Amino acid sequence: MTRYIIQRLLLAIPVLFGVSFGVFLMAQLVPGDPATVLAGDTASPQMIAALRQELGLDQPIPVQYLRFLERLILHGSLGNSTRTHREVLVEIADRFPYTLLLTLSAVILSTVVGVLMGIFAAINHGRAGDFVTMMLAVIGLSVPSFWLALLMIMLFALNLHWLPVTGAASWQNLIMPTITLGLHSASVKARVARASMLEVMGQEYVRTARAKGLREQTVIVGHALKNALIPIVTLIGLQFGGLLGGAFITETIFGWPGVGRLAVQSIFNRDFPVIQGTVLLVAVAYLASNLIVDIVYGWLDPRIRYN
Amino acid sequence: MSYPVRLSLIVLFVLILVSACAPAPTPAPTAAPPTAAPKPTEATKPTSAPVATTAPTAAPKPTEVSKVGGVLTSPANDPDTLDLHQTSNPDSYVVFGLIYETLVTEAPDGSYVGLLAESYDISADNKTITFKLRKDVKYTDGSPFNAEAVKFTFERLLRVGAKSPIQSTIKNIEAMETPDEFTFKMTMKSPYAPIFHDLATSYAGILSPAAVKAANDNIGRAAIGTGPYTLKSWQTGQLIVLERNANYKNPLKHFDNKGAPYIQERRFKIIPEYATQLAALEAGEIDYLGLQSQDVAKYTKDARFKAFDSLTTGLTYLGFDTKKPPFDNPKVRQALAYAVNKNEIIQVVFENTLAKATCCPLPPSIQGYDEKLKQFELAYDPEKSKKALDDLGYKVGANKMRTTPDGKPFQPAIYTTTSNTHGKVSTLLQAQFQAVGVDMQVKQMESGALLALTPKAEHDLYLNGYSWNEPDMFSLFLSCERVQASNRVLYCNQDLEKLIVAGRTTLDQTKRMQIYADAQKITMQEAPWQPLYMTVSKIVVSAKFQGIKTDRTGGLLWHDAYFAK
Repeated sequence: MTRYIIQRLLLAIPVLFGVSFGVFLMAQLVPGDPATVLAGDTASPQMIAALRQELGLDQPIPVQYLRFLERLILHGSLGNSTRTHREVLVEIADRFPYTLLLTLSAVILSTVVGVLMGIFAAINHGRAGDFVTMMLAVIGLSVPSFWLALLMIMLFALNLHWLPVTGAASWQNLIMPTITLGLHSASVKARVARASMLEVMGQEYVRTARAKGLREQTVIVGHALKNALIPIVTLIGLQFGGLLGGAFITETIFGWPGVGRLAVQSIFNRDFPVIQGTVLLVAVAYLASNLIVDIVYGWLDPRIRYN
Repeated sequence: MSYPVRLSLIVLFVLILVSACAPAPTPAPTAAPPTAAPKPTEATKPTSAPVATTAPTAAPKPTEVSKVGGVLTSPANDPDTLDLHQTSNPDSYVVFGLIYETLVTEAPDGSYVGLLAESYDISADNKTITFKLRKDVKYTDGSPFNAEAVKFTFERLLRVGAKSPIQSTIKNIEAMETPDEFTFKMTMKSPYAPIFHDLATSYAGILSPAAVKAANDNIGRAAIGTGPYTLKSWQTGQLIVLERNANYKNPLKHFDNKGAPYIQERRFKIIPEYATQLAALEAGEIDYLGLQSQDVAKYTKDARFKAFDSLTTGLTYLGFDTKKPPFDNPKVRQALAYAVNKNEIIQVVFENTLAKATCCPLPPSIQGYDEKLKQFELAYDPEKSKKALDDLGYKVGANKMRTTPDGKPFQPAIYTTTSNTHGKVSTLLQAQFQAVGVDMQVKQMESGALLALTPKAEHDLYLNGYSWNEPDMFSLFLSCERVQASNRVLYCNQDLEKLIVAGRTTLDQTKRMQIYADAQKITMQEAPWQPLYMTVSKIVVSAKFQGIKTDRTGGLLWHDAYFAK
């Protein structure tokens, strides 16, 4: 197992290089010169040229990329934001705890709610409970997040005065963004959990468990659920990786100071060092969550072996 | 390991992770930013300055002590930095404008009066300005304000201020002298009339040399000034808190309050989305908001708020690429300008509330606006437009659209930003042009891409605005020097150029305004621009705040304002 993990970590290095190179190239292709954007509408050509020189944009693209790599490898630095002049890592570190917190809470909420709904629907397969649960899941999938967010603000913040509208100053601030982010994936998980449970419950070992007289609860939790969890773990991994890159719409509406807003803001400002940093973060998050998912597979199902 | 044990371990791991990051996002509002910059908070807690934040002695008159207190929370976008030399971001400007002070400031009548300067003299050749500085000023870190600080500030601006909008003004200074501790003398290479305007913007705020050295020149989050507020904390992406500088003395005659501001804290809450800003206003989380047109009727009648009209400095114009045929011909530009119905734009896009039609290149919010120039306006006249196009050889074809004199379809493209307003205005212009037989194409693009494309002269027409509060805007947006830079209509006219140079170098106000009247006349007749409208901000402020004053353009002045308990 240790060898497998080391192998995977080594494989991550070329992936990260590829990602950084891809982002670097893409940034060059996007119309709009960072120096022009930074200098603003009233800038003179001299001012733009001076800025371009200051930012190193007057150098050929390969030189710029090599400089970026040199900084990253030798100094562990992603450079400074052209907008705020602060270290990119500091900019991300300022926001990452908020993104991590929101991601974890959304993943936990959606997993608990989604899996419970899925089990409930599977147990009541073909009956009213199944129908109602799956209807709720379809509604959850179809509701646009910005609409749900504004609706919740109207109800919980403006009418009932239970929750604050914006900010991240207290645990109450976390509730509405978590529901907004979690609802969609809870619905997906409910559908997947239901399908997976139905498949597993038709298996012979479940029949055997029932035949040897185990309680239904033990059959479902101890035997069926355990094996039905594999696709859910895959989903959690994917969702985790995606959400760690930031949830722009939710963050913007609730004024949540996460990485998503930073990424979009830096794209609008052509703040290339920060764009690079946030994209690398997403890549690392995906790689890490995929690795963890693979390890958890082995834990959940001892038949899966990595050699 | 049995399955339940493994599952419990997973849950435990997740819970540990959650609890590990839980404390970070829940600091008290006054706490330092989570990880990055604890320095501002420390730096703004001066050890030597007697900061008694609520000290009754700070208020100038005993009767006014009761006015001190309250928090004014405004919505804001994320400022980039509070280093006033390294930004041109308006969100940053609002914040550091409360922390730093300038040598001079604009009085309500439009004249420039001393702020950190007691008085100033201009030499006979209009090149040297001597500022007599106030002796009773100290920075919030306790260090003294003097002529050396002024010199240090402008030298730093020259060194690091590539992004500052006023760096070129300071570059025009040939010599800076400090004959004594409280006299600062600057000599310009050539007379430059807008210098007082530039020195009055907060980009020219005077830094504390001691504080800049203490922060190792990184003052982006360690702003120390002489202004009415000090930086208390900055939580990235969330909240900036400024605290009243209790030792502040106000020299400006147009305020009744001669001491520190009454409002205890100014908070800037980062809320990027308008719908959320509105909800936050409703919930009482912010006290102040610039409204969008759909909400004007409701909130301006609401007794919980007071409404203010604030004119924006600048305007939105329809520009022509004057280097590109056929728009290099003024007659083509004039013909299309006649097709523009400004009143319809105001009515349809702004519901007659958030904009006013403008006749002239300088709107009423900028000095130099002259009502008499209205006679030169190419006012809406579709018949005149049709006739002019006919005369120029743009004949109406089978599909009721015009063709160029050589028989090709006449389909000019208008380039504009992706802003909702610009989208609506350009669609309306498209309809107005269609009415005279011109099939205009609309191309909307993100503003960074637009800024990069326009100097390449790919556009035929251009819809955008300018924002500048000095008549010298001509030199930025219509001068030969700025063609292929900020002059996005690529217009170069030597007669206008002479007036632009004269306007920049004439310090006599009456003569200067006459020059700008002539410059406007040329621009209106030659039509590189058709000025369209100036926006009006409808601002609502919580009625709990009393004593708010407004300046010449309707901007809110808070120094006399207080929170009615």
